[in-house]
Amino acid sequence: MSERSGDAEALGGGRSPGPVLAVEGLTMHYSTRAGVVRAVDGVSFSVGKGQALGLVGESGCGKSSLALTLLKLLPENAQILSGRILLDGMDIVPLPEERMREYRWSRIAMVFQAAMNSLNPVYRVGEQIIEALEVHVESAREESLRRVRELYDLVNLDPSLIMRYPHEYSGGMKQRAVIAMALACEPDVVIADEPTTALDVIVQDHILREMKNVRAELGMSMIYVSHDMAVIAEVSDMVGVMYAGRLVELGSTVDVFRDPIHPYTRALTSAFPSVTGEKHELTVLPGEPPNMIDPPSGCRFHPRCPYATDPCRSETPPIVRRGGHWAACWNPTGEGA
Amino acid sequence: MVGYLLNRTFQILLTLFVFMSIVFFIVNAQPGDVSNVYALNPDLPPETRERLRDLFGVNEPLWKQYLVHVRNTLTGNFGVSFSNYPRSVADIVMERLPRTLALFMTATVLSFYLGFALGKIIAWRRGGWTEYTSTIGGVTLYTVFTPWFGLMMIWLLGFKAGWLPIGKFLDPELWRDAPTDANAVFGMMIATAVAASVIVFAVFALTKKRRGSGAALIRIGSLAGSLLVAVGIWLVAGTGYLAWDIIRHMVLPVVTLTLISFAGTMLLTRSSMLETMREDYVVAARAKGLPEKDVRDRHVARNALLPVVTSFMFSLAFAVDGGVIIESIFSWPGMGQTLVSAAVAEDLPLAVGAFVFVGSFILLAHLAADVLYVYLDPRIRY
Ligand SMILES: Nc1ncnc2c1ncn2[C@@H]1O[C@H](COP(=O)(O)OP(=O)(O)O)[C@@H](O)[C@H]1O
Ligand code: SF4
Ligand SMILES: [Mg+2]
Repeated sequence: MSERSGDAEALGGGRSPGPVLAVEGLTMHYSTRAGVVRAVDGVSFSVGKGQALGLVGESGCGKSSLALTLLKLLPENAQILSGRILLDGMDIVPLPEERMREYRWSRIAMVFQAAMNSLNPVYRVGEQIIEALEVHVESAREESLRRVRELYDLVNLDPSLIMRYPHEYSGGMKQRAVIAMALACEPDVVIADEPTTALDVIVQDHILREMKNVRAELGMSMIYVSHDMAVIAEVSDMVGVMYAGRLVELGSTVDVFRDPIHPYTRALTSAFPSVTGEKHELTVLPGEPPNMIDPPSGCRFHPRCPYATDPCRSETPPIVRRGGHWAACWNPTGEGA
Repeated sequence: MVGYLLNRTFQILLTLFVFMSIVFFIVNAQPGDVSNVYALNPDLPPETRERLRDLFGVNEPLWKQYLVHVRNTLTGNFGVSFSNYPRSVADIVMERLPRTLALFMTATVLSFYLGFALGKIIAWRRGGWTEYTSTIGGVTLYTVFTPWFGLMMIWLLGFKAGWLPIGKFLDPELWRDAPTDANAVFGMMIATAVAASVIVFAVFALTKKRRGSGAALIRIGSLAGSLLVAVGIWLVAGTGYLAWDIIRHMVLPVVTLTLISFAGTMLLTRSSMLETMREDYVVAARAKGLPEKDVRDRHVARNALLPVVTSFMFSLAFAVDGGVIIESIFSWPGMGQTLVSAAVAEDLPLAVGAFVFVGSFILLAHLAADVLYVYLDPRIRY
């Protein structure tokens, strides 16, 4: 039984004929001295044109690893073991580095988790955006500068900041600049890894709303990555829930929130019955995320799951479909349970 | 920036004053004085030696000597050398300092350039054949006993192979009928080097924003151009053969110095590169689809350069006073040798004067390095 069966058709929400980005059975491991870290394990999903997919899960469950795998920007100790990453139907996994460079930024761009640190402190911010334009878009410097001004307008940054250095920007301004940089080459897909985690709530809210507007305006697809369900709920059409390197539930945001199937999703959406009986404002899930080197057998969530039964401990859970979404669980919760 | 420079200049003057005082007392702490040199000379009766002591002022109490010394130094008068009487200290220093600077600055710049280039490569391609050879070779040279290595270089390249002249900074035979003296030629050479570097630096600064083969062509062109113009001027002036003689004499000590010191920069660059490679902006640069070379040079190496520049500042100090051994081995008549002979001859004014000149130069170099640092790291604003 594989999670792969839960892909494209389950995502019927896509508005275009073929998905812009489709991921099939993607598996990526890190080799470390302590052992093999199974950071991404058989993940499948797809994103249609103009769609926004949110990936949510606790810290350490492999969200950033998945995001980096999509750009094949992995460290030396990482290895894509299997699976396909289809950009408009073309698999980029076997592409050599030289070809891969052409796809980066022009087709898939990224807003990094530590956006604050993804600007080089010794270059002016505008130059760093122009640098991306120069690699992918043949244009004169004047042209590039005009494009940067356009982008600053789009993300509500004062154009007088263009030729300033990163340390002269505030946190929110840097974040906006990094978003502007991601949009520079009009990519088909933008991956935003915890785009607002380091910001205070008000700035976070503004930026999320702006990103939503920009997406509507430009019609590109987005993948939001966050540990925060509230953020994902606000900005995405689809939600994928990750646990210990695996996608455990995937469906439209409305469905997943209204009727979560997987107990883990239920926990994240705050509908989790607390084991200790205490009332938590935000549900605090008891236990630790699993060790990714030696993950639990069967359902990886079983040591922490209050619904766990015998098969959960030994066998990979089956795919359960309900409405527009699916989850991998032996004992699904909610309406159908 | 102006305020910062003024502030730094004031600090430097203060440091110089303290430095000068310390030097004065340390040199005076040596037992004996200038008359000792003549103690075993039977032609000089004790009265004459006493007269000498009076004449040179070393009979005065120490505090009085110190005050005289301070007054003289503040008015730019470093006095007369005892052992080279009646030449003035300033005159001697002006003759020897440029020789030392030319030798050690060339070696320091070369060693940093080589170390940085190698460090960059071995950090980028770890575990390769290049890393293995350059690390083992570099560290061996770095730790080898300097006098032994210097002598080996002389023996190998100068004596056995006979490619390069051994010792001294010119060939006396050649200079016997020379139209001008060595120091004039030396000064001209330094002026040429400075002018060429300024031009090349300006061209690099102007083409900073341009990328691609066009900019590279302009840069290489400016380099080759200034080299050609310099050679042309020297040929027309007719003293080119003299400059060439000095350059030939510089090769052995410069190569020796470069070889024994580049590994420090190389290993520092390597670790600085490895640290910078983990930065998020490097991943971002790669995500933007930049070619590997741009990621390495524009994003990793450019930022990894900062600590290397700091270390360069300190090496400049070494460049002037660490030269005693090298100057002795290669019979290079520069500041190192001057200091040693002044100390041996109890030549107080020359020793103190030489120290003060060397100290001022080092502090000035630090000031220049500070300015360079501000230029390299936009986060620093004073
Ligand atoms: N370069 C790496 N080498 C080895 N393990 C890594 C590396 N990067 C991340 N990991 C491990 O992979 C797992 C997933 O990490 P990550 O993708 O950063 O999760 P998330 O973004 O969801 O917080 C973690 O256990 C983390 O320790
Ligand atoms: S499969 Fe079992 S352990 Fe896993 S989430 Fe479902 S009920 Fe819990
Ligand atoms: Mg992360």
